[in-house]
Amino acid sequence: MKDFWDAAFVEQLTIIGTRIVHFLPNLLTAVIILGVGWPLAWTLGRGVERFLRMMGVDHLADRLGFNAALTRSGLKPDPCHLVGRMFYWGLLALTVVASLWTLDLTPVNQFATTFLGYIPHLLTAAVILVVGMFLSNFVARATLIAAVNASFPAATTAAVLTRWGVLLVALAMALEQLGIARNIVVVGFGIILGGVALAAALALGLGAKDLAKEFLERMLSDKPRDRAPDDLRHL
Amino acid sequence: MPDSTPLPLDEPTEAQVREIAEADVLVGIPSFNNAGTIGHVVRAIIAGLAKYFPDARAVLVNSDGGSTDGTPDVVARASVDLGGMLITDRQSLLHRIVTPYQGIPGKGSAFRTIFEVARRLNVSACAVVDADLRSITPEWIELLIWPIRNGGFDYVAPYYLRHKYDGTITNSIVYPLTRTLYGLQIRQPIGGDFGFSGKLAQHYMDQHVWESDVARFGIDIWMTTEAVASGARVCQSFLGAKIHNPKDPAADLSAMLTQVMGAVFALMEEHEQTWIPLHGSKPVPLFGFQYEVGVEPVHVNVDSMTASFRQGLVDLRPIWEVMLAPETLQALTATEGMLPHVFHIPDEVWAKTVYDCAVAFHRRVLNREHLIKAMTPLYLGRTASFVVETQGLTTREAEERVERLSEVFERFKPYLLDRWGASEEV
Repeated sequence: MKDFWDAAFVEQLTIIGTRIVHFLPNLLTAVIILGVGWPLAWTLGRGVERFLRMMGVDHLADRLGFNAALTRSGLKPDPCHLVGRMFYWGLLALTVVASLWTLDLTPVNQFATTFLGYIPHLLTAAVILVVGMFLSNFVARATLIAAVNASFPAATTAAVLTRWGVLLVALAMALEQLGIARNIVVVGFGIILGGVALAAALALGLGAKDLAKEFLERMLSDKPRDRAPDDLRHL
Repeated sequence: MPDSTPLPLDEPTEAQVREIAEADVLVGIPSFNNAGTIGHVVRAIIAGLAKYFPDARAVLVNSDGGSTDGTPDVVARASVDLGGMLITDRQSLLHRIVTPYQGIPGKGSAFRTIFEVARRLNVSACAVVDADLRSITPEWIELLIWPIRNGGFDYVAPYYLRHKYDGTITNSIVYPLTRTLYGLQIRQPIGGDFGFSGKLAQHYMDQHVWESDVARFGIDIWMTTEAVASGARVCQSFLGAKIHNPKDPAADLSAMLTQVMGAVFALMEEHEQTWIPLHGSKPVPLFGFQYEVGVEPVHVNVDSMTASFRQGLVDLRPIWEVMLAPETLQALTATEGMLPHVFHIPDEVWAKTVYDCAVAFHRRVLNREHLIKAMTPLYLGRTASFVVETQGLTTREAEERVERLSEVFERFKPYLLDRWGASEEV
């Protein structure tokens, strides 16, 4: 009975105890990493934010139209804070992964490895989205100004469509990078773009045939327009 | 930073320049597909040089942008019966150089080649005239070159008789602004036909601007501003009417405005040490016999201009909110309900609008090209206002309105200085 008791309980408890004793330093290390890493990430995030503010990145972003793009996206137009927070969350994620790693548990290690392998994709997708947002803002503004200067009545609509066109391309690229519903994104995007092109072609062919003809004739033959609005000489 | 690297010329031009070696006077014509008009311009130059500078070693340079209509041939063949023009003085040989220019296509790049030839030939006086002029006479050559050779001046700006609606960018922006900034009343700072000394040509060549808007439409204002800012002695010559081939007016307005205003605003930044301390303006000596002459009528469509301005007020408002001071935008918005025949943008509002745009350009609140292109409806609105206001006036009376506008620009210079952040320096 004593042998059975020893084999069934004491030995197992000893093994568990030994494992716990072996695991405790790892746990302690993980807690220390997390305990040091978290405040460090917070401090560094704030430091980056202050440094960027000191370097005048706020004004630069304002001039480049980045703040306007952030506002339009429903975010606070404070790029220094945004970068600081991104830095903080990035460091915190690394700290958590490092602390999990020190636990030396197979499933946790696998999760950490997968997560680390996914980080480059996440970063690339984020960069694509940011660039897309900036580009959409720039291209939409250029479209709006050109359309108004050409007295195009639906100038704002043209600018909005341009913005969303560029944003959709960026979003599709980002999702593709993240591997989310890859096929659906590619097919869906192709269908939407094809549909828009077809609709535009039909609209131009049926509704603005003469306008397109006149425009092409003027472009190709280099002839002056028939109806000059006036003969004002600006220079 | 001065750029004194010699500009390479094509081989035949190099050979011709080496053969000529030295000259006294040079007249340049930038051209691109001007076969229809350039013959007349060349004949006027030949007659002008023969009549007024018979002893001078003279060179005519045609700097061409790759014309396909035979422009260089017309230049090479053009001739004048000097006897028929009662010119009997013994003549020095007139050399003709017909050369292609290099660089960005545009008038500025063509001028650069002309300046380079002037530098290599060590000429003392130069003039440049447009290739599409129909009203040029031999007297223009005297009026552009004489003040340089005999009057001790370095730069001669043209003074034309123009229809009240001819040169509206000049009248509503460039003249008032240049006069206010640099303190000289140069009426046609972007006239297109200028006289200048060989020394000034050398100064122009030394500037590193040939890849910018200066290489295109911006060259005229750049030459005038550089002359003033470099301390050159400046005068004007009365050339009579300026009649030149019409261009499609609406086709390139936005691009034209971008290049001219881009150059004006960029020069404001470059020469801020020159213009910030200046107050008021003074007249510039004017040579030539002044007379009244009939000018070609100009038809204007006020409705389309006001419509463009109103569309800007609605569609470009978010951009104008960034460019303009709130009170300026508010004043412009007040025109919203006005009927076209009473449409009016007051001088004060217009002066502040231009100053706000200059400050926005300086502070880079927007992409600079977007900023200037977004000025197009503003400019059309102001032009419509000017047309409505001066419809019943003679050209002379309209000219007085331009002078009044310029005085308003001068009166509001402190506003510009304040917004530029320069009031403390003053």
